[in-house]
Amino acid sequence: MKDEKLIDRRSFLSKIGGMGLAGAALSAFPWMESCSPDRNRETSREKVRLGIIGPGSRGQYLMSFLKEIPQAEVVALCDIYEPNLNLGSEMFPKAERYTDYRRLLENPEVEAVFVTTPLDRHFRMVMDALDAGKNVYCEKAMAYTIDQCKQMYMKRKETGRILFIGQQRLFDPKYHKAMEGVVRGDYGPVVNVRNYWFRNGDWRRPVPSPEYERLINWRLYREYSRGLMTELACHQLQNGTLATGMLPEKVMGSGNIIYWKDGREVFDSVCAIYTFPNGVNMTFESVISNAHFGMGEQILCKDAMIDLPGSRIYRETPPAKSGIEQLIGEIEQGLFSNSVFAGTSWNPENASSDKGISIMPEADGDGTREIVQAFCNSCITGKMPPRILEEAYYGSVLCLLGDEALLQGKTLYLEDKYRI
Amino acid sequence: MFKDSVITAKFKKRELTIALVCFGLAFIVNVCCVIAYSCPWVEIFTQIGFVIVFALIFYALCIVARLLALAVTRLIRKCRG
Repeated sequence: MKDEKLIDRRSFLSKIGGMGLAGAALSAFPWMESCSPDRNRETSREKVRLGIIGPGSRGQYLMSFLKEIPQAEVVALCDIYEPNLNLGSEMFPKAERYTDYRRLLENPEVEAVFVTTPLDRHFRMVMDALDAGKNVYCEKAMAYTIDQCKQMYMKRKETGRILFIGQQRLFDPKYHKAMEGVVRGDYGPVVNVRNYWFRNGDWRRPVPSPEYERLINWRLYREYSRGLMTELACHQLQNGTLATGMLPEKVMGSGNIIYWKDGREVFDSVCAIYTFPNGVNMTFESVISNAHFGMGEQILCKDAMIDLPGSRIYRETPPAKSGIEQLIGEIEQGLFSNSVFAGTSWNPENASSDKGISIMPEADGDGTREIVQAFCNSCITGKMPPRILEEAYYGSVLCLLGDEALLQGKTLYLEDKYRI
Repeated sequence: MFKDSVITAKFKKRELTIALVCFGLAFIVNVCCVIAYSCPWVEIFTQIGFVIVFALIFYALCIVARLLALAVTRLIRKCRG
C-alpha cells in the first residue's frame, strides 16, 4: 500500500498521464518508461543490492532516495575518507564498509554500484565495475576526457550491463513538458539557447587539516576536475541538443580566474558559445563572484521564451488585455505619462515585463528520485532504457569539449569519431 | 444625544435609481470598450467586476456632485437673505 502511494505521488509520469500526455512523453523521452508506474509495480517484489563508492555529499543525497525506494538495498559502502564512510554507515548501518573499491567489487552480493567520487576517478572505477559484471550509476560528468567517455560507452555495449550517468534533468517532468512544446514547434523555431549559473562563493569546503585540501576540495584542482564546465555546464548543455534535435558542431569561449585567486587551478569565470549546424548558438556562462542572476536555462524560440527551471513560457506577443483594462491603461497613461515636446531618437529596449504562463505548476523535485528509481528498476529487469546513455554521453562530451576550448583559447569542432 | 434618522421610501427609491443608472453607464462603457478595442463579447460577463467598480466610482462621483450642488444652493439662499 505504501509503495502504491509512493508511485502515485512521486512518479511524474502519473502526473503527465493525468494530463493525457503519457504517450507523447514516452515517445519523446523513451527512457521514462523505466520509471513508469507499471515498471515500478513490475519490480516491486524484488530488490537490487547496491554498493556506494563515495558516500560524500552527493552520495548521501542519492542514498536519501535509496532509503525510500523499496527496490533498493544498500549492502556495501566504500570511501577512503573515514568521516564520509561513517556518515554513510549512519544511513545504512548494516552495509559492509570498504576503503578500497576493488574489494567492494569483489563482493558477489553487490549487484550494482553508485560511483559518486571525484571526476578523475569515474573512468577507472566504472570500467572496473563493468568488468566485474556490476551495473553502474555514475555521477556526472561521465569522465575526465572525451576519450574516456567513449571507452565507457563502448564498454557498456560490450558487457551489456546497465550504465546510468547522473543527468537528473533528463527525468525532470518540468523539462519534459516544456521540451515537448519546443520539439513540436509550438513556439516557432529555436533561435537561441541560454544557460547560465551564477553563484557568489568560493566553492570551498572546510578541511580538517591541510593534507585533506586536495581530497576534499577536489573541484578546484585540474588534476581531479574540469571545474565549472563539468560540475555545472554538464547539466545544462543537453538543453540545446534536446531542443534543436542536433549536436553543436563547434565551441569557442573564454575562461579565467578573475576573483578567487586562492591557489585554485580551475576557472571561476567562464563563457562558452556552442554553435549548431544551422547557426543557432547556445551559450553557457558562469561566474562564482556574483549571484544576481542565479541559475537559468532558457530556450528562445521565434514566438516565445521558455524558462526551463522556472517552468514558464513567455510569449513574444502576450495575450491582449480585456477592453476595459485597455481603457484603464490609456487613462492611466494620459494622466501620469510625461508630456513629450519632441520625439525621442532612442527608446530603451527593456526586457519584457510579461509574467508568463506556468507550464507545470504541480511538478516537484528535480528528477533525481526518478532517475534513481529508474536505475534500480533497470537493474532488476536487466533492460537498458533507450537513448539515456547517449544523451548523457553527449552532455559530458560537450562540457569537456567546451573546457578544452577555454583552455586552448581556440574554436574546437566536435570530431566525427566522438559521434555515436 | 443622537437623533433618530428616517430614511424615507422616496429617498431609497431615488438612491436606487441613481445606483442603477451608474451601473448602466458602467455597463455601456464596457460595451464601448469591447467595440473600440475589438474584444470578444464574452467580456460583457467576464469583466463584470470592473463594471461594478466603475459603477461604484460613478456613484461616488454623483454623491460628490450632489453635495457640491447642495452647498452652492444653500450658499445662494443664505446670501439672498
